[in-house]
Amino acid sequence: MMHKAADFLPLGEQRDIHGISRPSLSYWQDAWLRLKANRRALVSLWLVIGLLLFTIAGPWLWRIDPAAQDVDQISLSPGFGRDALIVADYQPWDGSGAAGPLHVIGEANSQAVRLKWDALPGANGHRVYRNVFPVGPELAYGMPLAEFYNNATLHHEDRLDLRPGRYFYSVVALDGNGKVTDNYQSLEVDVRRVTTLADAMQRGLISEQSELAIGDSVKLRWHPLGTDYLGRDMLARLMAGARVSLFIGIVAPMLFVLFGVAFGATAGFLGGKADQFMMRFADFVVALPFLLFMILFKIAFGIGPGESGVMPMLVALVLLMWPATARLVRGQILQLREQGYVQASQLLGARKSYLVARHMLPNTFGVVLVTLTFEIPKAIFTEAFLSFIGMGVAPPTPSWGSMSNEGIATMLTTPHELIFPALFISVTVLAFNLLGDGLRDALDARMRNTG
Amino acid sequence: MKQRAGQLNLAALRQLALLAAYAFGGLALVVWLLGLAASRTGGAVAGGAIDAQNNAITIALRTEPPQLDYGRATDSSSIVVLSHTIEGLLSYDDNMALIPGVAERYELREDGATFWLREDARWSNGEPVTAHDFVFAWRRVQDPATASAYAFIMYPVKNAEAINRGELPIESLGVRALGERVLEVEFERPTPYFDKLVAFVTFYPINEEFFASTNGRFGASANMLLYNGPYVMNEWVHSASMRWDRNPGYWGEHKGWLDTIHVGYITQDVNARLNLFKDGQIADTQLVPQMLGEAMERRWQIDRSMDGTVFFLQLNFREGRITTNRNFRKALLLAQDPVEFVYKALKEPSYLPAVSLFPFWVRGVDGYFRQEHPPPPHEYNVAKARQHLELARRELGLEEFPPLHFLADDSPIGAITSEYYQAVYARNLGLELRIDKQIFKQRLAKMDAGEFDIVASGWGPDYDDALTFGDLFSSWNLNNRGRYASAEMDAFIRVAQSELDPARRMKAFADIQQLVHDDVVIVPMYERGWSFVVDPQLKGFQRRAVGPEVDYSYAWIEERGGE
Repeated sequence: MMHKAADFLPLGEQRDIHGISRPSLSYWQDAWLRLKANRRALVSLWLVIGLLLFTIAGPWLWRIDPAAQDVDQISLSPGFGRDALIVADYQPWDGSGAAGPLHVIGEANSQAVRLKWDALPGANGHRVYRNVFPVGPELAYGMPLAEFYNNATLHHEDRLDLRPGRYFYSVVALDGNGKVTDNYQSLEVDVRRVTTLADAMQRGLISEQSELAIGDSVKLRWHPLGTDYLGRDMLARLMAGARVSLFIGIVAPMLFVLFGVAFGATAGFLGGKADQFMMRFADFVVALPFLLFMILFKIAFGIGPGESGVMPMLVALVLLMWPATARLVRGQILQLREQGYVQASQLLGARKSYLVARHMLPNTFGVVLVTLTFEIPKAIFTEAFLSFIGMGVAPPTPSWGSMSNEGIATMLTTPHELIFPALFISVTVLAFNLLGDGLRDALDARMRNTG
Repeated sequence: MKQRAGQLNLAALRQLALLAAYAFGGLALVVWLLGLAASRTGGAVAGGAIDAQNNAITIALRTEPPQLDYGRATDSSSIVVLSHTIEGLLSYDDNMALIPGVAERYELREDGATFWLREDARWSNGEPVTAHDFVFAWRRVQDPATASAYAFIMYPVKNAEAINRGELPIESLGVRALGERVLEVEFERPTPYFDKLVAFVTFYPINEEFFASTNGRFGASANMLLYNGPYVMNEWVHSASMRWDRNPGYWGEHKGWLDTIHVGYITQDVNARLNLFKDGQIADTQLVPQMLGEAMERRWQIDRSMDGTVFFLQLNFREGRITTNRNFRKALLLAQDPVEFVYKALKEPSYLPAVSLFPFWVRGVDGYFRQEHPPPPHEYNVAKARQHLELARRELGLEEFPPLHFLADDSPIGAITSEYYQAVYARNLGLELRIDKQIFKQRLAKMDAGEFDIVASGWGPDYDDALTFGDLFSSWNLNNRGRYASAEMDAFIRVAQSELDPARRMKAFADIQQLVHDDVVIVPMYERGWSFVVDPQLKGFQRRAVGPEVDYSYAWIEERGGE
């Protein structure tokens, strides 16, 4: 084999000499890799990002006032938009119309159902009932709407929460003492959903120049997640509520974790008497009752009735919740202070500020991040709880907690008013907890490369 | 390494499953034992809603009476208990007509009244009920030391008001016993409705000797009371239960037909009471709107009655409040529609949208007061309301209206009311309402102190006469918590209090009604009612507008056919 002269030139610098098979990873890169491998944590991360988008971008896309009441669509369950027929404005009715057995005067619609009847034989008055089922052999007439203790009034106008669908109206004869008898007449009525031009304009369903006229149909406002007990849009309220919940949930932990880190690091680094004194102070703060202080702050801030209690809540959280973080960071710093590399650095003449900034704090960062993600759901839950008992936001501002409280009253009939806010609280708290769990595993240096 | 970890997990899993099974089994056992214990104690309380064998029923009360000293009682629960167990001079029959009670007959005059007491009215210790018992009880109500909240109801009796203010000795009260069985009352001013007043609990008699023996604990428990009504309270476990038995010494046969009424439960929770009713544990229960669907589905016979109370937004007339401006109040009245509030927001079939201070059932000369004197109709007119608001703004010299302090009850209805009006006034008038929700007692305290601009409150009748509503806004009535004061109103009320001609008296009430509307003293919201269900076997049960909220005095059990 012939060799060329070039083969005998000295080798240049070889970087790959040890044949490192894997790329070198920094602490954060490694942590990110492990977090990515953790499916639960990853899903939670996306959930958290989604929630932030829902809160921040949501109100830009879904431009509905969360305080606007749509009284024609109260406690509406989730669903698609509904059509309504446009009719003339409501005019009071004096009971005029053709006589005869129980019948409807005019058209039965969601504005009013006008009933008229001839006196039942032997009646000394009548009571009007409405049912959603036919009157059976049990003589269950349904819910009583009105009674008349003489035969002078033989008409009734029903305007009570009329929804499109079929109703069974009955008039029952009353005896001389005003007691219900078995003598009745029943009528099946189909009710249509209607609205008026003025109403439609006021609610912004049609513009002033609209050419729609009586007899046309108009699409009522769409409430994808339904409405609450005052006809307010659930989606808009959930978005507005998320602002309050996430504001408290993120800002409060940020502030008190920051303070806790500073306090704990100082105590741990100074050590000795100063450390003892500072940590006893932290113990003292732990012993302070949160709810009491929350009320005290509310008074001290001069927050009157009907004003938002969110600021005192924030202050109370920040002032009372930091000791847990402070203890954690102090322990970490005490441990780090005795590490070999710190002592080496000290021997090499490093200043204290350099030690803290270069060695101590970066090494506690993982712990702090994990604490933060665990404190966020706690704070969200505290906010929800306080709003639930009425200490938080002032109406009409919604928060998930106050919405749950309002939803409880109608839990059995319109469960969506409770389920949605409760679901949002649960999912948010769970997402942050799982994310924190994942971060703890990912940031734990001892777990490095064991996956 | 992986393999071993997996095995470990499996073992741990098995252990975990076992532990979970133990925990679950243990829990089931505890639940079962608790259920057993509960059924034992429950059985001791009562035998279901209707116990036809023992002619007994079980009912629930909404709240525990704070105490049953009827000189000081104000709450509806106390009134329910007292009206079943104690009887005054007169009482009501099952059609709301006055009937004789302890008094056999009576005579009303311009300057006073005489009551002749029956011979056979007895206390539960066997002593006769005498005229002295009334004199003692009435003097005690006016005694400033008793501090009775209902002392004002007795002000038609001569010197009552002065005694209550501590200006005269209690012996100067215009009531005397002419012997054991004749009670002579002297009036401060003509009081044509005095017979209706004496059916109220504040006018009930007290046996002086027994009262002295209670050492200040009168009415604190079952044996700290003497009874003369159709029922005797034999047991009162505080906050838990009561037992009322038929009073064998009661003089009449016309009421008290059940042998025993168990108050098995005392709970404010409407859902809990509904569940008790469904389980056949109580004989009647109230239905709130969200329960009506289920009630219809269960094919119950739903009933309804008026509760008598009128609810309104009361405005503050104390100096410095914006609500003192008449145009501003006018705007508040015109910008809202009680019909929409009741039918759409509250969805209560038993409520009526209110148009007047006087509810529809108040009696006039012959028929209903409001048929004889129709109230001015309500006008819902946002454009007009805005004009009045603009006028008010200029009159008050304001750039912008400050937020208004809206006081309401801390109850589900209070929440709906406050948030509904908050949105309505924001939308129609651009006003900001700051909601202040308080528990009932605290709301009253704040109303007394005048810490509100608008308060959602109600007024219920104490006796069956238009005056129970009519004198509410007199300048001397402490229940006039907005402190509305006008010479015109006071003059009308003076006429209504003492005019003997019924037609002219009703005209005075019509003037009051008109003035309340013109001056916008209140913004009427609704007349409250109840939707309720009663066990089909229980007949004659009543809910009343005046007197006790629920009345079992005339109730009886109908045996099931075929059994």
